[in-house]
Formats: sequence, C-alpha cells, structure tokens
Amino acid sequence: MIHFQDVSVLYPDGTQALSGVDLHFERGEFAFLTGASGSGKSTLLELIYREIEPTGGQVIVDGQDVSQLPRHLVPLLRRKVGVIFQDFRLLPQRTVWENVGFALDVIGTSRRDKHRKVPLVLELVGLGDRADSYPDHLSGGEQQRVCIARALVNTPPLLIADEPTGNLDPAISRTIVQLLADIAERGTTVVCATHDTNIVDIMQRRVVELVQGVVVRDAKEGGGYHAA
Amino acid sequence: MRLNTVEFLLTQAWSAIVRNGAISGAAITNVAVALCVLGAFALTAFNLDQQARSQAAAVEITADLGKGAKKDDLDKALRQDPGLRSLRFVSKNDALRDLAQRWDLDLSALERIGNPLPDSFHVVPVDPHQVDALAARIEQFDGIADVRYAEQTTQRLLTLARGIKLAGLIAVLVLGTATLLLVSVTIRLTIYARRREIRIMQLVGATNWFIRIPFLLEGTFQGAAGGVVAMILLLPGYSYVQDVIESSLPFLKLVYSPQMLALLAVGTVLFGCFFGGLGSLIGLQRHLRDV
Repeated sequence: MIHFQDVSVLYPDGTQALSGVDLHFERGEFAFLTGASGSGKSTLLELIYREIEPTGGQVIVDGQDVSQLPRHLVPLLRRKVGVIFQDFRLLPQRTVWENVGFALDVIGTSRRDKHRKVPLVLELVGLGDRADSYPDHLSGGEQQRVCIARALVNTPPLLIADEPTGNLDPAISRTIVQLLADIAERGTTVVCATHDTNIVDIMQRRVVELVQGVVVRDAKEGGGYHAA
Repeated sequence: MRLNTVEFLLTQAWSAIVRNGAISGAAITNVAVALCVLGAFALTAFNLDQQARSQAAAVEITADLGKGAKKDDLDKALRQDPGLRSLRFVSKNDALRDLAQRWDLDLSALERIGNPLPDSFHVVPVDPHQVDALAARIEQFDGIADVRYAEQTTQRLLTLARGIKLAGLIAVLVLGTATLLLVSVTIRLTIYARRREIRIMQLVGATNWFIRIPFLLEGTFQGAAGGVVAMILLLPGYSYVQDVIESSLPFLKLVYSPQMLALLAVGTVLFGCFFGGLGSLIGLQRHLRDV
C-alpha cells in the first residue's frame, strides 16, 4: 500500500528531517510510528499525502509515485488518504453531521450518497446520537471521533493519524486507538504516529521507531514502545 | 456539476459575505465609489466627445471654382476621392441668395452691383481628422481657385476629444487598479477568516478550483453589488445634472436616451462583476498558497 524507498527530506533551513528511509506498509496493516518530538514522524506522514515532497528517494502510495504526481492530481491522491490530527481541526460553527458531510461536499458527492454515508460513519465511531451537536459541546475524545469519522467517510484505503491521542486522557486514548485498530481490521491501512508509550505497549502491533530522521527499529509484530 | 455542489459553492460564497459583513460592506462601498467616479467620468467624456464629434462632423470644405471651370467634370472627378462623404454644388446665385438671407440684405440691390461670389462645391469629409489632406487634394484639381474650411476650430475640437478620451482611459486605469487592490485585500481577509476551512478542504481532496470558486463568486457578488449601488446613484444623479444644465446652460445639450441609460446601468454592473471577479483572482493568486 505504501512504499518508502531510500527517502530523505532536507528542509530549506538545512534540517535533515529524514534520511535513507526504507519502509513498506501492507493493505489493512496497523502500524505505530514512534519517536521523540522532532524525530521525523510528522514529516514521514506528510510525505504520504503530498503535503511535502521528498528531496531524495520515492514515496509510492497505492502504486503511484506521489513525488512525481502533477499538482492538479494531488487532490485525487488525498481522497485516498484520510488524515487525523492531534488538534482535530473541526469547524466550530458546523455540527458534527455537517463537519463530516463537509468532507463529502467538497469532493462533489451527491446529496443522496452523503445522507447514506454520514450516519453510517457516525455510528461506526459511536457518535450516532451526537450528530446535531457542535464541536465545542463535545469532549476531546468525541471531537477526535468526529475527526476520524470525517477522515473515514469517503472510505479511503489509507488512514494516517498524527498524534491522535496527544490531547486525550489515557482511558479515552485507548478507545480511540482501539477504534483505529478496528478500522484496520476492515481492510484500511492505518499508520499512527505517537509518543504515547502506554498505548503502543498495550496494542502490541508493528512499531517503526525513528531517531533523528532515521528508522532505528521496525518491530513487525508485537512491538512495544521501547526495544525489548 | 451537481446541483448540490452548485448550492454548496453558492452557500459558501454567500455565508462568507454575511460572516464578514463589515469587510464585505467596505468592499462593496469601495467598488461603488470607484464605479461612481468612473461612471461620472465616462458620462462627461461621452458627452464632450459627442459634442466634439457633432462639431467635427459639421466640418465642410468650400472649394471655389475658377473662371471657365467645368462644373460637371469637376463634380465627377471629385466624387472619385474615397475621403469624400458628400458633395454639394452651390451656384454663385444660390450663394448670393444665402448671403442676403443670412444677413438680411436687399437681394435686388446686390444683384444690381453684380455678384462677386464664385460658384463652389461644399464638401463633407468621411473622416473629420483627414480634412487637411482632403482639402489639399481638392486644391490640386484644375478649375479649383480656392479652398476654405474652419481648420482651427475643427482641430481644437478634435484635440479636445482626444484629450478627453486619454484622460478617461487614465482614470479607468487608476480607479480600476485601486478597485482591484481593494477587492483583492477583501479576499485576502476572507481567506484569512476561512483558513481553517480551506486547509480542511485541501486535506480531504477538494480541487483547487473547487476551493477558489466560492472566493470568485464572493468577489463577483461584491463587485455586482457595488455596481448596483453605483447605478442607483448615477442614474438619478445624471438626470439631476441634466436638469441643472438645461436650465442654466441651455446651449449645452447632454445626451439623454433610454438606450444610453440602459447601457450605463448594465455597463456599471458588468464592470463591477469584472472588477470583483478579477480582484478575487488576484487575491487568490497571491494569498491562497499562504494557507
């Protein structure tokens, strides 16, 4: 689903964010991306949805070299990649339903499809009864579920989460990550950047650890936050 | 494009205008003021230009015939000139009758002392600007003794008309640029106010045009609204000025026709739309990448 081949990113200010990254994520796989702040986790995720371009190597998503993608085709790539953020990035003046529906509106989905998909995805993330609430009236965990629903509503084959539990307490964090794991069970590839030790240790999934832009560990299964 | 997509884009544009009410109001006022000044200038220029044109159109060359000139041959030869619009022969007797009539003189007394006036051709040029050249060509014909025309008056009027057009063009450029800048600044503010929404749109895969269309619509709406305000001010304003001029300067006739007023109304709104849309495009080009 995702291939990184000898990928490096050098920012204009001279910061080497990633160097020589070789990684492969299968369809339906759930993987954690760990490392301290500034280790290159977010940079690696941003490469997947072409927020930035690599200065070396290739990033292939769903068979497509995204760094070679013409600018006008980037939106089509992004329709295949759902993105979840630490700060949720919801629109405060829109209801939960509207926030999720917004993601379909802007890609020209028909009204009928929207009315079919939004309730389904809200049920999936456990927010069926909060459709008419505004984000400010929701807890952090609920807001993150709305963010997940928005990322999923277009049924993308790939979901990436950048510190999805960064603003949540441990109990809520566990349910959110479990929800992501359940989504992966349905065939969606999920890559989740985190430095939440507990969550990684509990889930016992594949762990890719980055240190100063270099992959120092790739524990394919049953990995903990720290190397055994 | 689906109906609900069109509805979504229009709603986005409209809600941006409503949400940024004060900024939108400022932009609409700016467009209205600019278009009012532009419209007033265009009306002035149009009227002066019409005045100059009607004066210039009345330019006539008088070509006096010499003794023994063959009138019919000359008539035929002069009509070959492509710069000639119309040609009228005035016999010396007709000329004398005209003169007597114009100055209220006793025609029989004039006839007794002998008619000193020559036969002549009165020639109207196709292009008043080319009157000099035409007069020079006519002078070359055998049988033409003298050529006269109101050279200075014509040239002054035509120069004035050219000057007005140039000044109008400069005013359009200056005010147009100012309007474009104002609209683009408004769009910049809207982009800033909606940056979170735009960011989400980009991330969930909205195309660039899909993101841009509501801004273009917003600018066009603002331009159109400014155009309507300008039109509402200009039409009665022009009518008022016409009344004032008619009563105080009756020799000056302003152009006033339903067609011209309709053209002014439609033109003002279309100009507003054009400036609004173009201003948005400039704003988008400059600021959307910053989101």
